[in-house]
Amino acid sequence: MCGIIGYVGFRNARDVLLEGLKRLEYRGYDSAGIGVITSEGLKVFKDKGEIDLLKESIPKFESDIGIGHTRWATHGRVCKENAHPHISCDSKFAIVHNGIIENFQDLKEELEKKGHRFSSDTDTEVIVHLIEENYKGDLKRAVMKSVKRLKGSYAILVISEYEKDKIIGARKDSPLVIGVGDNENFLASDIPAFLKFTNRVKYLLDEELCVITRDGVSIFDLSGKEISREERRIEWDIKEAEKSGYTHYMLKEIFEQPHSLAETLRGRISEIEPFVEIGVEDVGSIERITIVACGTSYYAGLAGKYIIERLAEIPVNVELSSEYRYYGNKNGTVIAVTQSGETADTLAALREAKRAGCRTVAIVNVVGSSATRLADDVILMRSGPEIGVAATKTFTSQLLVLFLLAVKIGIKKGVLDAEKARRYLAEIKRVPELVREVLEKNDEIRSIAEWIKDFSSIFFIGRGIGYPIALEGALKMKEISYIHAEGFAAGELKHGPFALLTKNTPVVAVMINDESYEKILSNIAEIKSRGSPVVAITEKGDSRVREIADTVIEYPETLPMISSIPIAVILQLLAYHTAELRGCPIDKPRNLAKSVTVE
Amino acid sequence: MVKKAVVLAAGEGNRLRPFTENMPKVMLPVGNKPIIEYLIKSISDCGIREIVLVVGYKKETIMEYFGDGKDWNVEIKYVFQDKQIGTGHALLQAEEKVKEKEFLVLPGDNIIDNESLRLLIESKAPSLIVEKSDSPSKYGVVDIDAEVVKRILEKPSLEERAIVSTGMYKLKKEIFDILKDLVKNGRNSLTDAINEIAKKERIGVVKGKGKWKDAVYPWDLLTMNADVLRNLSSNISGKIERNVVIKGPVQIGEDTIIHPNCYIRGPVVIGKGCEIGPNVCILPSTSIGDDATIHPFTEIRNSIVMKDVSIGSNSLIENSVIGEGCRISSHFSTLAGKSAIEIENGFHRVDNIGGFIGGGCVIDSMVTLESGTIVGKGCRISSLKILRGRLDSGSRVV
Repeated sequence: MCGIIGYVGFRNARDVLLEGLKRLEYRGYDSAGIGVITSEGLKVFKDKGEIDLLKESIPKFESDIGIGHTRWATHGRVCKENAHPHISCDSKFAIVHNGIIENFQDLKEELEKKGHRFSSDTDTEVIVHLIEENYKGDLKRAVMKSVKRLKGSYAILVISEYEKDKIIGARKDSPLVIGVGDNENFLASDIPAFLKFTNRVKYLLDEELCVITRDGVSIFDLSGKEISREERRIEWDIKEAEKSGYTHYMLKEIFEQPHSLAETLRGRISEIEPFVEIGVEDVGSIERITIVACGTSYYAGLAGKYIIERLAEIPVNVELSSEYRYYGNKNGTVIAVTQSGETADTLAALREAKRAGCRTVAIVNVVGSSATRLADDVILMRSGPEIGVAATKTFTSQLLVLFLLAVKIGIKKGVLDAEKARRYLAEIKRVPELVREVLEKNDEIRSIAEWIKDFSSIFFIGRGIGYPIALEGALKMKEISYIHAEGFAAGELKHGPFALLTKNTPVVAVMINDESYEKILSNIAEIKSRGSPVVAITEKGDSRVREIADTVIEYPETLPMISSIPIAVILQLLAYHTAELRGCPIDKPRNLAKSVTVE
Repeated sequence: MVKKAVVLAAGEGNRLRPFTENMPKVMLPVGNKPIIEYLIKSISDCGIREIVLVVGYKKETIMEYFGDGKDWNVEIKYVFQDKQIGTGHALLQAEEKVKEKEFLVLPGDNIIDNESLRLLIESKAPSLIVEKSDSPSKYGVVDIDAEVVKRILEKPSLEERAIVSTGMYKLKKEIFDILKDLVKNGRNSLTDAINEIAKKERIGVVKGKGKWKDAVYPWDLLTMNADVLRNLSSNISGKIERNVVIKGPVQIGEDTIIHPNCYIRGPVVIGKGCEIGPNVCILPSTSIGDDATIHPFTEIRNSIVMKDVSIGSNSLIENSVIGEGCRISSHFSTLAGKSAIEIENGFHRVDNIGGFIGGGCVIDSMVTLESGTIVGKGCRISSLKILRGRLDSGSRVV
């Protein structure tokens, strides 16, 4: 999710662009750069890493027009050369781009034959060479002619030393908004980038192009016909524009879950028939499954193992993408779980599996992402965009998709009879409601966070599907609150981790109401006898654990494995409030990026 | 021209329990849309683009639904009232976001027609929309002299028809100074502030067009639902299987499946992702929320079935409201009839009324609700039970 900004006006372009890029930081980035026109010509400054570091490296100079970019690598690695802006052979044109050009390889070969030299591995660079090639004294016309040749998605900004007074913007399937000021104008991926300077906007639509100068904005269609567009006034302050009232994206996304989960399910199941329709056919022939994923998606995959093995009775192996690609056994059906569909390790694992002839399925949130193009079958999570770096709503949607897949395979294989399948599907349909009930415990969970926030170590334990959920709970806790947190299978405590328990190490116990219940109850008793405080997460009405645990958080009654989803939401809220009370930068934890597109 | 509307949406609406235990009153669905959505649409239709929403009780449900408002062609800013201690105090929270000299103040739980709202917008501030009401005791009665408001009397014990305040105002910025003084002295009601203004200034009267709607008690939701469905236009998406009969104005959302032999007579609205039938009968005026499942041989008439509800086969739902996420097994019946329902220590006689079930209840087979029964939120009822009266939230009937 790259971010772009362009400015022309009376202010110092360097400062406006850097300020705008800071505002686009939330989109996630690995490199950044700006290009400006000065009295000495076109100048480009770019590098990988933080915007603040870039800022220090750019000298102060006079300029009133320029473009800027935060890059989130898709084509080509993260390095200075691949950062934007990109320039033409004669260094007279500069461009920034958000999107993916699908036919860039063909265009590149064509341009190379005409003598253009390329200095990066990006798809973007072909656009600027194309414009250089098409330039016959009219920048607008050159851009228009060039974008007609592009396949894929783009939002681009172009400046040229030949026409120093204007920025040309164009878009298709990637966002671009015009900010209208007095004696200055803006272009950006998102309104917050310029909201500090103006609140008047014009929206540019797909396959339109605009020219902005210091005192004017004009919009054209690709045939060159001018279009008039109404101006809109935005009156939110910068934070609200992005989070509509919530303090953090993460909290907004946690509370969105009843809605996002309903979207995940919608139109996919029939409780009455019963059947599951998720766009993957021939599942009856699946003999074994390997799930590959990283981070939170890996824990969803681990939960998937419990779900599929129980409901469909086929063996499931779960592997970290980064390991699987080199060492994994490449047989059977391989399911890649990735929110962005761009996680580099998972893409590599998917490619390796394909190369070995495996059938591949991708469970993905982002439509049109690389994973959706690579895999044989795709199941979309439909969670909507997730901006908080810590995955929340996409995790629960991943679990739900795995349930659907398991039921589908179970029905096809004859393992789940109609009555059992109906029972599961009826309960799966209840998931949004179960999550709604759990969200009502927000205040109760916050008061528990108040208590655990001062510990320096927290352990999470669980059995059965409670084990991967405990692992995910620990991951959420450590990634946003920076408290050392570890997840363990409850049965493994005695084999080592017990040595870590003291009265200063609270244990969060995830209790599933199935055959493991008695066992984890006695684990809790063992922990209590070592003096560690225990927060038990258990099904409503469980009075036995109340007698031994220090605090209990209840989730609503449901089928044992389905309870994993409401429990995950409880652990998200626990991590969120703990981090919030500790004053951590929740939406942008240190050293982390939303989607890891580097290996 | 007024540019901004402050909409008060912080309150719970406790007389509408158990439904308001899941969401604030403004978010209760009628015709499958939250009450406040009708108001926001009217505001937008009348050309006002900026809305300040004062939220408090279960504010997330509102923020999640409306976001920044762009789907409604408005820009919504949120302000918070942490404790719901009064409408005046609620309005005061919006002060920082209101720089305009004149603006509208509207209660988020009322529905108003565009025509009346336009009259208010065009009137000279301060002004107020009034309506005639047969049950003035629920509202503030307005004492009018020569088209000028003299005084508003809150919830008097009047039985005959009277002119009442809709709580919809066009006000001037000075209201905030008056509110500050009053709130300092523990007087948190907006009516108090209006009465203060009335002492010094003429408050204009805008006569509403008789289409103002408010829901105070659970059974009012059914009236409101029937009212909003009166203007329904047909729009059928989803998958309609063989031999389904659809008559009158009916809306069916995307990804909904209607299995064979269902009979649907509008006005009826069915949300997205529902599964209905075979052999289900849905009669006027009924709203069925998103992702609901209605099993075979069930009849539903004049009712609100909220989202994520499942109703088992061979059931009858009549003049009733079923809350979000309820799972009801087969052979469930509501008996519609005359009832005296107790709410806030008072009995209300209601005709031809079925039952009310709060969100998230799980009801096993063969349960019957006598007329006027109110089942709280999250109850569990075992099979073969006949319920009457009021069941507290979280109860178990075994």
